[in-house]
Amino acid sequence: MRASLRRVLIAIAILLAIAPVLTQDAFYQRIAALVVLAAISASAWNVIGGYAGQVSFGHSVYFGIGGYAALLAFTKLGLPPIAGAPLGILASFVLSAIVGLPSFRLRGHYFSMATIAIAALAGLLVTNWGYAGGAIGLMGPATPRSPADLLFRSPLPYYAIFLVVLAILLVLTWWMERSRMGFYLRAIGSGERAAASLGVPIRRYKLYALFISGAFTALAGSLYAVMIGFIDPDSGFGILVSVNMVVMAALGGAGTLFGPLVGAIILVPLEETTNALLGGGGTGAAYVAYGVIIMLIARFSPGGLAQFLPRIAARKSPRAA
Amino acid sequence: MSEALLRVSKLAVHYGDLVGIAEVSFEVEEGAVVALLGANGAGKTTTLNALAGLVRASGGTILWRGERIEERSAHEIVARGIALAPEGWRLFVQQTVEQNLRLGATALAERARLAPLLERVFSLFPRLAERRRQSAGTLSGGERQMLAVGRALMSDPKLLMLDEPSLGLAPSVVDTMYETLGRLSAAGLTLLIAEQSMELALEIADRATVLQTGRTVLSGTAREIAENPDLHRAYLGAAF
Repeated sequence: MRASLRRVLIAIAILLAIAPVLTQDAFYQRIAALVVLAAISASAWNVIGGYAGQVSFGHSVYFGIGGYAALLAFTKLGLPPIAGAPLGILASFVLSAIVGLPSFRLRGHYFSMATIAIAALAGLLVTNWGYAGGAIGLMGPATPRSPADLLFRSPLPYYAIFLVVLAILLVLTWWMERSRMGFYLRAIGSGERAAASLGVPIRRYKLYALFISGAFTALAGSLYAVMIGFIDPDSGFGILVSVNMVVMAALGGAGTLFGPLVGAIILVPLEETTNALLGGGGTGAAYVAYGVIIMLIARFSPGGLAQFLPRIAARKSPRAA
Repeated sequence: MSEALLRVSKLAVHYGDLVGIAEVSFEVEEGAVVALLGANGAGKTTTLNALAGLVRASGGTILWRGERIEERSAHEIVARGIALAPEGWRLFVQQTVEQNLRLGATALAERARLAPLLERVFSLFPRLAERRRQSAGTLSGGERQMLAVGRALMSDPKLLMLDEPSLGLAPSVVDTMYETLGRLSAAGLTLLIAEQSMELALEIADRATVLQTGRTVLSGTAREIAENPDLHRAYLGAAF
């Protein structure tokens, strides 16, 4: 059963690698790139939200920081937007230290509520920050000044860049899963007090997880700004940005290596297709579907598809035998 | 008189306006078995949690080998040699028996000692050795208690605190558990056992402390406590 699951995951990985080459339609290629981008932020969220069980609903704050860092580097310093990515990551470290230390005293729902408040506050600050474009936001370069601007007509180069970043993140998460840190994070996730009573330095490891999670989410934000060429308070710091990460990870399987990727493969095409089919008035349709999905996950499979699929397979195998 | 391994003086814990414990005082000598007795809600779990650094003391002192530790965090306390097998076991149910045990060795300074400690736990609880690759969530109540105790032993503590080790277990399992605790004590381990079942605890204990509504009301040798007419009053309230 586990071997077959592995085969499915390898198939998904291969499909991801060749998917955009299979179609010449830029619409589908763009969706493929957005799937990988969403998988990066959901996988980054997964480090703190899935493995360590600290359900953040405010990760958009990192995404927004990354996005704004990229376009501030372009508009204010004249640098290629991607040059802002390291600054975004650096800012994410500072934010993690500032936010993590006090908020990690909170547990469960209280922690989640604190993260929502932090993201909302950051959104408000940026909306009222004229230097960063205020409510209007920031634009990227309209025409490429040099290849470093990473401005491509085709979505394929973006897809390739995102895939490399996702691969790095997944390898890092895979390594972490097997390391002492992964061991501790899972212990914290399944019982913080029990982990503390065994001598796990809870706050230190939660902070490490937040550093990794925040840095990759900020990088995802920068990549988003590079590809889309625009960022505003809503697309950077909006609550739906955070909700997307949580729902994707929860649907695929929070605390599993490939869960967020599987969630992204299902949800991003759903969102993009409903947006395309229903047009401007129907852009919220995907979120109605998200709500239904959240209820179904909570009711039938809190561990997401990663828990649900093996259960189905286990139910079928005795009959086959 | 020898210096006590653990000396708790006027320990208080508050949860906001609520009083967890108001004034708890007792001592634990090295190698002794001390029972912490009291009815449900007397403050036994809060006392152990404060000693383990899981809740912050709002008053009083905890002296461990002469050092004040009431401000220390949980991981610093485990590293000093105090381990807790908590009430309700608090196992990592998704992880295997062996992974749970290895997590118990988190505070161990020398990783080379992990293997011998694991072997010691498996020799104390052979059932755990049989189920080492099984996830903790599939264990029976008795096996879970064994795992909770085994996990606490993995940090090679000087003082093992057990919170209600008999709670919810079949009588035969309780007997086996207390036999094992007796063997650990005979091997020199200091035990602090919080129990509602006073008969069980007083059978194994050298000394006992009785709590009532967050205060120490009786302290003495196990025999003195067992024969004290105020014991039942402390358990069942002034009406008795």
